[in-house]
Amino acid sequence: MTSKANILVVDDEPQIAEMISSALQLYGYAVQTAMDGEQGVARVGAGKFDLAIMDIQMPGMDGITALGEMKKLDPEIEVIIATGHGTMGTAIESLRKGAFDYLHKPFEIKELLKVVERALEKRKFNDITRAIFSTVRPEEQLRVIIDSVTRILKAEESLLVLPGRDGNPYIAVSEGLEDPGAAASRLEMCSRIMDAPEETSKSAVLSENPAGDRRFAGIAGLDKLKSSLFLPLREDNKPVGLIAISRLEDEAYFTEDDLQRARIFASLVGLALRNSSLYRQLQETQGQLIQAEKMSALGQLAGGLAHEINNPLSGILGLTQLVMENTDKAGQNYADLKDIEKAVFRCKKIIVSLLSFSRQEKAHLEPVSLNEVVEETLTLCARQMELQRIKINRQLAPGLPMVNADFQQLMQVFLNLFTNARDAMPEGGELTVSTSLDGAGGRPAVAAAVSDTGGGISPEIAGRLFDPFFTTKAVGKGTGLGLSVCLGIINRHNGGIRAANRPGGGAAFTINLPAL
Amino acid sequence: MNRKALIVDDEELVRNYVRRALAGRGWAVTEAANGAEALRLAVPGAFDAMVCDLKMPDLRGEEVIKRARQACPAMKIVAITGSVSDIKAPLAPGVQADGFLIKPFGIDEIRDLLEKLTRI
Repeated sequence: MTSKANILVVDDEPQIAEMISSALQLYGYAVQTAMDGEQGVARVGAGKFDLAIMDIQMPGMDGITALGEMKKLDPEIEVIIATGHGTMGTAIESLRKGAFDYLHKPFEIKELLKVVERALEKRKFNDITRAIFSTVRPEEQLRVIIDSVTRILKAEESLLVLPGRDGNPYIAVSEGLEDPGAAASRLEMCSRIMDAPEETSKSAVLSENPAGDRRFAGIAGLDKLKSSLFLPLREDNKPVGLIAISRLEDEAYFTEDDLQRARIFASLVGLALRNSSLYRQLQETQGQLIQAEKMSALGQLAGGLAHEINNPLSGILGLTQLVMENTDKAGQNYADLKDIEKAVFRCKKIIVSLLSFSRQEKAHLEPVSLNEVVEETLTLCARQMELQRIKINRQLAPGLPMVNADFQQLMQVFLNLFTNARDAMPEGGELTVSTSLDGAGGRPAVAAAVSDTGGGISPEIAGRLFDPFFTTKAVGKGTGLGLSVCLGIINRHNGGIRAANRPGGGAAFTINLPAL
Repeated sequence: MNRKALIVDDEELVRNYVRRALAGRGWAVTEAANGAEALRLAVPGAFDAMVCDLKMPDLRGEEVIKRARQACPAMKIVAITGSVSDIKAPLAPGVQADGFLIKPFGIDEIRDLLEKLTRI
């Protein structure tokens, strides 16, 4: 039989140590004893204990000193101080040093057991806290949260519901809900709770006999539920999700104690979620910094490189053309020279686009209508798109605020995005350009999305899309600088650019620019 | 009468093809490999046009152009460079080149530009 917990009893009076340990063993705990402070500390150093019950007045190392030593060896250990000559002073000192609680000798066994249980419960919470905070990876974290809540509240089924992108809540993780019908009915219960603002502002909502609860009227399949507990999750004081846990028919109702634990748990989860969202923000910022660093390093390199390369390139071009003048236009030599000439122009194009984004030139900013930029760029590309059987779908929101921008540079951005979309749809397809007001970031912004019906972005390349010289196009078809140029321009406009796959297939690029 | 041009560039490859491109159109071309040599050669009446690189080891091209302009006000001056960051240099007050080409440029570009500038 596995014992409930490992407890160390430290007392210089053998009869008392014996009495305490027999009582605890009777209740299923595994107990070891030590005769003084030194021995107790040595035991903690050698083995794993959940809890120590320790006398204060002992020969040699006293209880308070031993407590400090034990906490140094194992910061997780809980210590209950027992004292016969206790004054309020020693008790407070022991608590200050990290004791969980203290007991006055002589104490009743019942009293001892109660304190032991409370100490162990706190330890369990510590374990859970550590587990929840141990990971910032969202999927893992949600799994840990659901596992922990199921365990500490001895529930049979549990689920964590988050609002989806489409606004409809979905089950992020669940436990004991393999049956799709049951899962659907629990999700519906959660939706009702989330829709009722007065419910989500509470720290916990209890429903005894959910099948008869008016809040869940009309939901089928709740008969087996004895008692359900809903814990709204809040981040920055805004509701971000809901945990629902239930006990089934032959289990006990949730008690007031359970409710109290659930509340503590929910607040821990809120903190953990906040933690990981901060971590995500940090990672994003870090990513942007790395990208900016890459661009500026490349910019410096490009400036120097362009000069070094353009000199010999100019020689190749000039000499090639001189030889061409003296070559029979019908021969193979002339054709070969023509290819060399073309290759030089290709190099020139690469260098020019490299410089155009690495140059830290200031944009010429003026109030610009994003819709107008889109329309003008589309006019430029319309013929090309038509030739490749690409249908252009405009969804431009009317009456958008202006943005402070360089018209030419923004045209360059859209031109690059349209070209990429076109190249992603060699067999034809649909190019959708939409603009909208975007208030998601707090400040009003104007957003534009360019999406195609091509092959989309594979996960392997998602992280490298904006890297200079990264291209998926055939050799000679792309310089790998198009999206780097876009990123550079959008950054200079204090905006953002994101790439994603569309649910129905194809890629979507979204640009945000601060509104005027 | 042959028109006379001075090509100033530390890059031999560039001097070579510019000279031959212009020679093919009846120009008499003299080469200078650095700014000091160019300024020694550029005396009034010696050249109808000067083609001058902006980045050379001794003197900055802008400086060479400025001084040559003072010495020979009638000479047409074309600045050439491989670096786009120099793009505004030939337009600076006191420099004001008559023409500007970014490397790599082809033989017809330099021929057409010089012919246009020296047409009377």
